[in-house]
Amino acid sequence: MISLRGTTQRADATFRVVAIIAAAMVLVILGLVALTMTVRARPVLSEMGLEFFTSRRWSPADSKFGALPFLWGTLYTASIATVLAVPVSLGVALFITQIAPPWLKKPLVYVTDLLAVVPSVVFGLWGILVVADKLGGRSFLTAGVILAIMIIPIITSLAREVMETTPASDKEAALALGATRWEMITATVLPHSKGGLVGAVMLGLGRAMGETIAAALVIGSALGQITVYPLASGNSMPAVIANEWGEADELHKSALIALAVLLFVITIVVNLIATSIVQRSMKRSGGTA
Amino acid sequence: MIAELPLDLRAKPSWRRVKSQIMIGLMVAAVGLVLVPLISVMWSVASRGAGVAFHGFPAFFTDEIPVISRSEGPGMGPAILGTLMCTLGATLIAVPLGILGAVYLHEYGGKRKFAKLVRFMATVMTGVPSIVMGLFVYVTWTLRFGYSAFGGSLALACLMLPVVIASTEQMLRLVPPHLREASYALGATKSRTILTIVLPAALPGIVSGSLLAVARAAGETAPLLFALGLGATSYNAHFFTQINTALSQQIFVNATSSFAGAQERAWGAALTLVMLTFIFTIVARLFTARIGRKK
Amino acid sequence: MNRTVLLAVAVLTLAACGGKKGDAGGGGGGGGGGNVTLNASGSTFQKAYEEVAITKFKDGKVNYGAGGSGKGRQDLADQVVDFAGADSAYKDAELPKNKGGEVLYFPILLGPITLAYNLDGVDKLNLSAATIAKIFERDIKKWNDPAIVADNPDAKLPDTDIVVAHRSDGSGTTDNFTKYLVKAAGDAWKLKSGSTVEWPADTQAGNGNGGVAQLVKTTKGSIGYVDLSDAKASGLHYASVKNQAGKFIEPSSASASAAGDGIEVAPNLLFSALDAKGDGAYPITYQSWVIVYAKQTDKAKGTALKSYVKFLVTDGQGELAKLDFAPLPKSLQDKAVAQLDKIQVP
Repeated sequence: MISLRGTTQRADATFRVVAIIAAAMVLVILGLVALTMTVRARPVLSEMGLEFFTSRRWSPADSKFGALPFLWGTLYTASIATVLAVPVSLGVALFITQIAPPWLKKPLVYVTDLLAVVPSVVFGLWGILVVADKLGGRSFLTAGVILAIMIIPIITSLAREVMETTPASDKEAALALGATRWEMITATVLPHSKGGLVGAVMLGLGRAMGETIAAALVIGSALGQITVYPLASGNSMPAVIANEWGEADELHKSALIALAVLLFVITIVVNLIATSIVQRSMKRSGGTA
Repeated sequence: MIAELPLDLRAKPSWRRVKSQIMIGLMVAAVGLVLVPLISVMWSVASRGAGVAFHGFPAFFTDEIPVISRSEGPGMGPAILGTLMCTLGATLIAVPLGILGAVYLHEYGGKRKFAKLVRFMATVMTGVPSIVMGLFVYVTWTLRFGYSAFGGSLALACLMLPVVIASTEQMLRLVPPHLREASYALGATKSRTILTIVLPAALPGIVSGSLLAVARAAGETAPLLFALGLGATSYNAHFFTQINTALSQQIFVNATSSFAGAQERAWGAALTLVMLTFIFTIVARLFTARIGRKK
Repeated sequence: MNRTVLLAVAVLTLAACGGKKGDAGGGGGGGGGGNVTLNASGSTFQKAYEEVAITKFKDGKVNYGAGGSGKGRQDLADQVVDFAGADSAYKDAELPKNKGGEVLYFPILLGPITLAYNLDGVDKLNLSAATIAKIFERDIKKWNDPAIVADNPDAKLPDTDIVVAHRSDGSGTTDNFTKYLVKAAGDAWKLKSGSTVEWPADTQAGNGNGGVAQLVKTTKGSIGYVDLSDAKASGLHYASVKNQAGKFIEPSSASASAAGDGIEVAPNLLFSALDAKGDGAYPITYQSWVIVYAKQTDKAKGTALKSYVKFLVTDGQGELAKLDFAPLPKSLQDKAVAQLDKIQVP
């Protein structure tokens, strides 16, 4: 089974180098993405300057591009999605880890993971043809609801992992002192998991901001809409890129790429913060980071 | 730690019990809330897609996409081929790279700064929106070489890579150290050990993790919009040239169509895609179960 | 295990590169005859006609990607496609950017832009230009607004909000629709005209005529501008519009033809059928062209292209009425056929 012949020192060293290069690909790709996209975004930024980030006006015909309404739409729908998803995710995670009998745990985990397997475009299709009708048309709210459904499995699975690391001794001690199930949870599980839960929520938020297709289909594609009225139709950064790319000229494409860079930066920042929070909290509580 | 926390054990037991039951009830409601959209999506896809997908089997899976978009009837064959080509291509790129990268991180990198950086960035990379990867491939590949399935594979590979690295590293961690030590004791080099002992031992888990990444890639739409081009209705088996199409892209395009026939095909394509991703996921789970049984 | 995997991978890769067995380069598709593939993009207005023509064209294969007139013109300028479909012409300032030199416009059809709407209980609707302008500018926000009621005394108009749908892509339909409003609504229309227009913020957008049609179809209380062919095939209700003669005319192939009589055609075959005079003319009738480069560089493609355009302006015209378009008036058709000689094939 093990051949002790062959493999010279050189082959061994080569393998190591190959492995290093493979690992470095992550950095190379990320770096290239940042670099090439920023270069492509320059034309519109030199044309519009800082106004790109502050103007509400998006008019390809006049070569005027303002990202503000899309930034608003992205943040607004992601917020709606997170607000809707968090209580549900936490409830499900708590149920699975603290309440459910052992025979129920696995099937419930499977079911929540099933939600993650459904492709986002199918959610979009379902959203536009089945859901939008019932929620009053295509709007920030409809997009937020669809996004919420899509990020629930992410938050739930991470929350579950974090909650599972609560020391059993703490939980048993609380119960022994006469606490009800809920009191035990608030006294031991929640404080222990706080960091991890915040991280999980932020990862969900990041995912909601970057989701393109489902949002593009149900958000209504309005331009210049900045409002808190949830039933208004609006737009978001990934949605407008997907919808307007097909017929954009050079400057328009540059503007859309600039939006993508903006989105890239925001989601990376959110993910960076979330990842470090989760990793730190896992380390502290002794889970697998 | 518990004594410091605000547990009011002096309050009336009956109210506390009721409160606990209410909260548990809310948790159950949350579970129910998760089931509702899941069942609704599955039901919509199955009921609306089954008609066009299975009527005159296997027409839907082999016929070309109707050129006349307002016509009714089957045909998603080219999209199925496109999805398989792009996904296969992406797998061939991302899985070997991902496995090698994870091998570096776990077997060579350890606590080194470079390894820590790569590990961290890989996690960050999983959060990059798919549309950003799609634009990246457009700018670097499509502009130079035109639309092709290969461009789609590149974009999907970028999305798959961090997932494969993370899950593979996890599996490598589970391989007991004594296996490696025995191999070194017998005189094998590090690379030999990894290739003949460690990877085979971790294989079921690696396959499982990769299949899950493949399932995700198969369902992606945004990156393909920029790499495949529009208007393809017939089979295109050329991997490196010419416009192509995929199930996810067809669903997106037909979702905004006003013609009943086109919408039906969208549901049929959705059904096909969901079945495809489910097969990948179920096979992945079978592999995970094998690991469990081995232990 | 490794060796078998490598072998399998190698075989698969070779198979993929070599192409599917039994498939000719370029795929099966509509044309059975030649091996030439023509790529095109552009107007969604003429998409339905292109699709039928593609299935009937035997001298090659045509791929028509409908991304809007603006995209079609852009793709042709960049020489990414062999011809473009567009409902409006290049602006003079854009012409120098066309990499292939001089372009020729071949008109291929006429058709109405309808005001398609989704309102329960209202099967017939009359609209005049000023009312349409105010609706799309969001000066009129409810269906039972006095201006709408004035033109529809018998209809039961509910107190519902109007949801306005327009195009998100660069569209010849938008261009012609807004040009009509500039002409016929006068001061009531303030948003000017163009392939893209700065619509008010509280409106929704769809991609292509199909996208707007779908928006209207799935949103209660909505109204949008959609070409008749797509509106009818989607099962939408559409309004009758007041023409210059003061009559409310229903959009149809016949009323579009009536608008086509008496158009003034420029030497390069550009013209406008909007706001036509004549009792039976539908006032928002527009047209679509196929745009090609006069100087072709590839012999096989050039020949196929000439043949395809010829089909569009001659034999294909018989298909138009079925699709709810109007064929070209005879004099215009003759001019188009004559212009075919201007396509130079090496």
